[in-house]
Amino acid sequence: MSASSTSGVIGYFLEPSEALAAAAKTRDAGWKHFDFLTPFPIHGMEEAMGQRPSWIPYVTAVLAFIGILLAQALQNYVMVYDWPLNFGGKPHASWPSFVPITFEAMVFWAAIGTAIVAIVAGRVDSVPQPPPLLVKTGATVDRFVLWISATDPEWDAGEAVEFVRSLGAHGVELVEAGGKTHA
Amino acid sequence: MTRPETSPYATVLDDRQLTGRPIVLAGAGPLGGDVEVPEPLVTGAKKWKDVDQDICLHTEQFPTRRWWIAFAVALSMVGVLGFALASLFYSGMGIAGVNQPVGWGSFIINFVFWIGIGHAGTLISAVLYLFRQQWRTGINRAAEAMTLFAVACAGIFPIIHLGRPWFAYWLVPYPNARGPLWVNFNSPLAWDIFAISTYGLVSLTFWYMGLLPDLATVRDRATHPWRRHLYNALSFGWTGSHRAWRHYESAYLILAAFATPLVFSVHTIVSFDFATSVMPGWHATIFPPYFVIGAIFSGFAMVITLMSIMRGVFNLKHYITLNHMEAMAKVLLLTGMLVGFAYSTEFFMAWYSGSEWEGFVFKNRAFGPYGWAYAIMFTCNVFVPQLFWWKSLRRHPVVLFVVSVLVNVGMYFERYVIVVTSLHRDFLPSSWGMYHFTFWDYAILIGSFGLFFTLFLLFVRVLPVVAISEVKGVMDPRVARSAPPGRQVAPLGAGEVRP
Repeated sequence: MSASSTSGVIGYFLEPSEALAAAAKTRDAGWKHFDFLTPFPIHGMEEAMGQRPSWIPYVTAVLAFIGILLAQALQNYVMVYDWPLNFGGKPHASWPSFVPITFEAMVFWAAIGTAIVAIVAGRVDSVPQPPPLLVKTGATVDRFVLWISATDPEWDAGEAVEFVRSLGAHGVELVEAGGKTHA
Repeated sequence: MTRPETSPYATVLDDRQLTGRPIVLAGAGPLGGDVEVPEPLVTGAKKWKDVDQDICLHTEQFPTRRWWIAFAVALSMVGVLGFALASLFYSGMGIAGVNQPVGWGSFIINFVFWIGIGHAGTLISAVLYLFRQQWRTGINRAAEAMTLFAVACAGIFPIIHLGRPWFAYWLVPYPNARGPLWVNFNSPLAWDIFAISTYGLVSLTFWYMGLLPDLATVRDRATHPWRRHLYNALSFGWTGSHRAWRHYESAYLILAAFATPLVFSVHTIVSFDFATSVMPGWHATIFPPYFVIGAIFSGFAMVITLMSIMRGVFNLKHYITLNHMEAMAKVLLLTGMLVGFAYSTEFFMAWYSGSEWEGFVFKNRAFGPYGWAYAIMFTCNVFVPQLFWWKSLRRHPVVLFVVSVLVNVGMYFERYVIVVTSLHRDFLPSSWGMYHFTFWDYAILIGSFGLFFTLFLLFVRVLPVVAISEVKGVMDPRVARSAPPGRQVAPLGAGEVRP
């Protein structure tokens, strides 16, 4: 087996606490392209993996403002310029009655946009993953899987296997590019 | 501090061992005192992989005879809906009961009723998430699905209420060849369009975000390649990566934070449809909170009704325990009293305002020709939930089911009372009249229930009815891990993950 056909190494852990300890050691050992595949999010994992908090909230703030601006623009354009009607002498730009739609538009843009950006970010802002249709990691069942990708700048298959074993993983497997695994 | 290797949760096997009170661990404290821990959210000493099996199984095997019977009944009710709507569109509004002076009838009642039902799901998901109420994990998925289907049912009614539903798209503001003729943004009816459609879409998004990891679980259990590819595409190739969880968690929190005020805004805007008019009985500042509380009340009641059935039919008693049901019963008790408070406040304001019209409307509402509807409403919504002061009744499955159904009967009559009693006595006694449902009003109401149950029955067949990844997150790892500490596990080669 040549090193180029290997896509990474996986190591199994059985509990969140084991996973957190392993992630911190992997971070400290200098691995960069590694990930933890888990059935549910683990509190403190971002820090253990050496990651900064998600930047999603900033995206949401921008989207919320876009929603507010669009709703205000539409309502003022229609009610003041394009179709000004006199409702009992009340002002055309009657801002209090524009509040509900402005609020709804803000929520719409912020919520839908955030969800789309988060799903895309989960794929793009990541390291190459073991292909889910080919490799059964058990990470959606009950395993906490350390994954070191072969794209890591310091990658060496033998070294990676030894390292994962030294973390006390309950099982270590090499994953080939085609998805085949062997212990 | 090292944790003890045995968990107090390992011995809690079913509902009979739950008390609704903390478990006392005698002498377990650091200085030898007692320690109280909450009771487990999942009973039966389940392991993480048991959760997959218990919850996904219903999507993987051929439906039971009971499911087919329920589905056949629900689907024929949808047929009734289709027939009734076709007749309505063909013949016109004249075949329904609405007429002068009651121009808002069963369609508006049904609309407010279904939108109210549709409030509990997002409330449970979003508000309880922000308040870190972990018991929400057992019920949030089904409650959110219920929300979506209730909103779908509700969405029909404003459109058929238009009278000429084929012009429904005129409600959407877009540059057009009719002038351009725009909607009036000062009108609560225009706000409603935005509120309901935003609520529907955001609820759908929130629900789908929660489903992503579970769709990946279904994919990894699937044996048929089509099924695996389908669920892989639906989960956007979810692997459980923590680099994805990081953004996912952040987005989920934000969605919850936006959905919370959204829930309150939607029924507030629905109440504006009434409150911004000048009808006595509708023109009241209490309407927004009154409607929102009523919506939460009826939504939780519907969740209790559905969960009572699902627990038994799908064998989910380990995940939706009596403690979950009791927590919902407490919400019902609280909101029931708030609704009662709102009813009383309306009467007080009618007297205190000194307005002759208000005074008449409320006296007529309680003691006039529709006094029977008011009596049903008040009994079901205010008196019946008082049973939940007793812990034994909050934990009694039959009582829970009966009370939850009665609450929704009461809430239907609340909307009936609000809509009909304010209209049937016009300002001029010569214009007074009564309102009667026709056959078609009943058919459309029954049909909307059919649509709701059809969608729900399809949902329980194809998607996990409990949020698997969230439930796993609240289980005790000492009980749920796949092998006891110190034991090695066999590596999972390709294809070996299936039980």
